[in-house]
Amino acid sequence: MKGFGYLVKEGLKNVWVNRIMSIASICVLVSCLVLTGSATLFSVNVSEMVDQVGQNNETTVYIKDGYSQLDAVYIGKEIEKISNVNSVTFYSKDDAILQFKNQLGDELFSQIDEDKNPLPDAFIVVMDDLEKYDETVAEIQKIDGVDSVLNRRDFAEKLTNISHMVNIIAIGIVIVLVVISLFIIANTIRATMYSRRFEISIMKSVGATNSFVRMPFLVEGMLIGLISAAISVGGLALLYEGISQVFVTTNIPFDFIPFTNVLLPVVASFVVAGMFVGFAGSFLSIRKYLKMEGNEILGW
Amino acid sequence: MIDFENVSKTYPNGIHALYDVNLHIDKGEFVFIVGASGAGKSTFLKLIMHEETPSNGEITIAGKKISKLKRKEVPYLRRHMGIVFQDFRLIDKMTVFDNVAFAMRAVGENTATIKKRVPYVLSLVGLSDKGKRKPSELSGGEQQRVSLARALVNNPEIIIADEPTGNVDPELSHEIIELLTEINSMGTTVLVVTHEHELVREFNHRVIKIDHGRVVDDTSKDNISDDYDDIKNYDDSDDYAELKQFSDDISVASTDE
Repeated sequence: MKGFGYLVKEGLKNVWVNRIMSIASICVLVSCLVLTGSATLFSVNVSEMVDQVGQNNETTVYIKDGYSQLDAVYIGKEIEKISNVNSVTFYSKDDAILQFKNQLGDELFSQIDEDKNPLPDAFIVVMDDLEKYDETVAEIQKIDGVDSVLNRRDFAEKLTNISHMVNIIAIGIVIVLVVISLFIIANTIRATMYSRRFEISIMKSVGATNSFVRMPFLVEGMLIGLISAAISVGGLALLYEGISQVFVTTNIPFDFIPFTNVLLPVVASFVVAGMFVGFAGSFLSIRKYLKMEGNEILGW
Repeated sequence: MIDFENVSKTYPNGIHALYDVNLHIDKGEFVFIVGASGAGKSTFLKLIMHEETPSNGEITIAGKKISKLKRKEVPYLRRHMGIVFQDFRLIDKMTVFDNVAFAMRAVGENTATIKKRVPYVLSLVGLSDKGKRKPSELSGGEQQRVSLARALVNNPEIIIADEPTGNVDPELSHEIIELLTEINSMGTTVLVVTHEHELVREFNHRVIKIDHGRVVDDTSKDNISDDYDDIKNYDDSDDYAELKQFSDDISVASTDE
């Protein structure tokens, strides 16, 4: 299109001239994008974790309190007898406390000596066939002295449920926010159009085509979308790193997918979504304006 | 260039702005359109600019029949004409140069053409040295010349000036019409709407008089409609009687409800 550079420049100027409204639009759009992004990344992480859990054939079996290590050896023998069990490794409470100390620092466990160790002894059980997981767990639990089996499937299931719920809530909030974004962007563009109604009326009187009149406003809307996308990517990255940091310091064993792995799809979808919402918002508010002529535009 | 065939315009609110107007304006003509305010002059202009469409009849502009014009084609029709407004309609945050260039940018001209064409048009209207000024720094007459330059810059076949002297000192009015006459001599059709009879008399151009929505006088005799004499002897009092009747009808209707 002829004069394209000029139109883009006009659009950029609009964003600046109308900066208060532009900032309002950007804020709403950013919260919209960050929320969508967070919900998506959460569910991606959960499903990744669920996959890992599904593939992990290691299960921890805890021994009841009051059973000595000698008793535990017998319990271990019993477990080994189960057909689906491949190997059984003893994991003493001393080992467990040592690992905690290594991970979290000595100070926290300085009060706990060997006699007062509250942790249970355990076995790490490796299974042959994960298809028979539930039956095998049931058999292990029948053995006298077995306290509990850390059933990672239950954990995975709970996580998936939470993830579904988060997704549903997030979708609801996002829909509301998209509507609000559209509304605010449409208003921002309307304000720009109002302040430029004089120019629009002259453009129409000299025979500017509708698409030409429209262009700077579409550019303005899309630019608001683009700026929002850029801010949202940065915001989401910070949020993500922050939350994974919290998980590390509180020692919750959750392997986060590194943000760099999801950066590209996040950037691409934010840019597309931001620009689309900006475009749609602008388009909606210009439509009515373009039908008007001369003095109607000026309101005279 | 401009053809009106039995054109009538009735607005949705029931106001009859034009009745059965027939006229023909040739390429290269200079025409004054005169008439009191409310006579239908602005409707006449709006019809030419396609800001309004006729209720009846056919308008042909630059060979294009208005009734067959698609919405998309309207901007291209407008490129045949340059419009000069009574209130100038200059953008004050732009320089004189940019105001004129704006009309070219609006139709997608490239920067190189704009840089060549704008100074030329500014020199035509005698404002070569005012390009960097803001419109507010200029006199009324100069502002109107900027407005004229903007109307001219896209090289239209028709210049339409709506009361171009309305906001200009009387001594400068003459100058503006002279400038338009000069532009006309270069082949551009010029339409000037005015109510300043003095000014019209000074120039020997065709004059079309509109009154109560009808063409009541046209100095180019061959353009006068057959019922010219009827119109000439048209008695205003009839109209008022009709109007009175109409308003009575309305009040009766409203009391009925």
